[in-house]
Amino acid sequence: MADREMAYRVFASEFNDSRFQISSATDAPIQADLHAPNFLVTTAGAKVNRLFIAGVITEVEDIGSQKGGEKELWRARVSDPTGTFTIYSGNYQPEASVFLSSVEVPSFVTIVGKVRSYEPGDGSVFVSLRPEEINHADESIRNRWMVDTAELTLDRLDIFDEALSSGLSGKDLLDHLSQKSVPSHIAEGICMAIDYYHTDRDYIHGLKIQVRDALLSIESSLSASPGGLADIEQSVMVMLQEMNQGKGVEYAVLVREAGEKGIPAELVEKAVRSLLSDGSLYEPRVGFFRAID
Amino acid sequence: MDERIAPHVEELSRVLGNRYTEEIRAELEKLLQYRVPLDEAKRTVLNRFTSRSPASVQVKDLVGGMNSFDISGRVISIEKKNVTVQEDKRSVFTGSFGDGTGICSFTCWDDMSLKAGDAIRIKNAYTRMWNNRPELYFGKRSVIERLPDDQLQDIAEMSHTKPKKLQDIAPADVMASSDVVIVEMYHRDISLKGKMLTITEGVIADETSKLPFTSWTPLRGVDIGSFIHFEGASVRIFRGLPSINFSDNTTISQIAQPEKLPFTLQSVSRETDPVPILKVLDKSGIFDVTVAGNIISVRPGSGIIERCPVCNRVTQKASCRAHGPVECVSDMRIKFILDDGTGSLHVMLNCELSEAVYGKSMYEAEKMARESISKEVVFDDMKRVLTGKYIAIRGNSSRNEFGVTLVAKSAWCPDADLKGRMDVLLKRIEGQVSDNG
Repeated sequence: MADREMAYRVFASEFNDSRFQISSATDAPIQADLHAPNFLVTTAGAKVNRLFIAGVITEVEDIGSQKGGEKELWRARVSDPTGTFTIYSGNYQPEASVFLSSVEVPSFVTIVGKVRSYEPGDGSVFVSLRPEEINHADESIRNRWMVDTAELTLDRLDIFDEALSSGLSGKDLLDHLSQKSVPSHIAEGICMAIDYYHTDRDYIHGLKIQVRDALLSIESSLSASPGGLADIEQSVMVMLQEMNQGKGVEYAVLVREAGEKGIPAELVEKAVRSLLSDGSLYEPRVGFFRAID
Repeated sequence: MDERIAPHVEELSRVLGNRYTEEIRAELEKLLQYRVPLDEAKRTVLNRFTSRSPASVQVKDLVGGMNSFDISGRVISIEKKNVTVQEDKRSVFTGSFGDGTGICSFTCWDDMSLKAGDAIRIKNAYTRMWNNRPELYFGKRSVIERLPDDQLQDIAEMSHTKPKKLQDIAPADVMASSDVVIVEMYHRDISLKGKMLTITEGVIADETSKLPFTSWTPLRGVDIGSFIHFEGASVRIFRGLPSINFSDNTTISQIAQPEKLPFTLQSVSRETDPVPILKVLDKSGIFDVTVAGNIISVRPGSGIIERCPVCNRVTQKASCRAHGPVECVSDMRIKFILDDGTGSLHVMLNCELSEAVYGKSMYEAEKMARESISKEVVFDDMKRVLTGKYIAIRGNSSRNEFGVTLVAKSAWCPDADLKGRMDVLLKRIEGQVSDNG
């Protein structure tokens, strides 16, 4: 059985620049089988079949009913700081469609999806994602995705630079890269990208700048957040100590009190769980919490 | 017949770089005798020969299912065995073969008049999985070339494999030697052929890895924290994980100056940093590894499940595969796919870890299932809570027919020093961007 295809982390701008679709890992027609996955080779050499993205969902449209047909089809746009992913979800993605029909915009989401491409026939190619999994997310997941994606993209771009400066192509380049212990899927993707797109140093350079700008765009929110949970834990501890009348504080009362101070319930839950696990709190009765003095 | 297939043989041989002409002819004739259509026969032959990896390999790189490779080394031991293959009595020759990178077991189907100590190059050998490990096979179709005796280490040196780091012990190895520290150790009584026997089991470690061990002989003066040097321990493979076996043939000695080793008991017991999943996928199994990534899909089979009270297997409709209808025991588990952008693997969480990761106890989950009548409700809720989330997992990985599975021993939300990582990345880009222009 073939191994599961990994979910790539790629920024929207690189994804949307891409148009080179291949139907199977091997070009020997003898070995092509029906289940061979389709890949989109991006301009910077990612050979993508499945993608994991985290971003802001900005628009959802029910385009199935617009055309008056019975077909169910949702189109959504999910943006990262470099661009926007287009998502299409139809009859065969019932869970994603239900999600899209009720999601609030804008909000943070994560999506695992397969790459699709559409060629209207005038030479242009539109790439999109067909969701396999879609879920609500928060800012910290989005930020972490950004840093992961930046790191993985930069690693790949560095290999791309190396490939360009070697001056090799085709099989020689593959051999050269495998000697440098570059994973085979990345080496193949880079070879194909150089062949098809003639990606040059300027383009790679441009992508690096985009990655930098993307990182800078979340920098301010990062410096604020690391203290976040610790601060809330602090205030939860103070509240518990103040409100305690000997038997601990009921969870619902704590949440209500915290709500008045502007701390959302999820964060209270997180803080309580973390405090319980480090031993600062205990639960004298189910649903009651008390700080250890 | 000959005349008709000649052009096809020539064509195939040309495609394959003018090699194997005779073998192609033989294969093709055989297939045609079985009345396989010509096109299909050609395709089969082409497939068989293109999958050949003509390169020469070393013992440490052997995996199951390799075809037609060359390998050089020395026969370390060889014995003749009589076996019955399809009611046909014949002799095979089995033994061990080493090349300085490791020792593997081999089976030779025909009498090649080999003896222990022979330095040979085997052309056109293949491997198959046997007893959970890759075994080297060769026979009539292979060509054996004698090598000058001085080209390889002598047999005494080779049969005591030189000490390896634990992470370098490969599935093909039958013997291993290493310097390690004992990090876990306990005794167990087992009955073997009617006799009671106390064996010692535990975990050994060096700076590269950890592995389970079993000792069939008493270990005198050895305890947790002991630094030992062992030679000639046998290696067994269980679910792709090597396990080290000490027997009467193993020499074990305490290391006199453990402070000269590159590891201490503290350093090997420390929690390890997550490794890229790609590295885990490279190996058939790793003992005690940490990975971190996103839960990209919670798989069916997660949630409240029922098990057979006898064998612990998951039951379907209150009926066990082995024990028929049974009084089931409820359990909770989570199976998901973890992906870090370098690769993906399956993760299994037991009930305890599921409760911690999911944030609901099994009692709450069961109550939820009862109230909504549907069992799916827990699975759906798990998907909603977990999909897309970051998680770090520590446990043992092993390869099976579905890919690589990691059975978790612990799970936590990984720390995110995003600011720090981001600063490193920004510096890296700054350096390059200014270099280039």
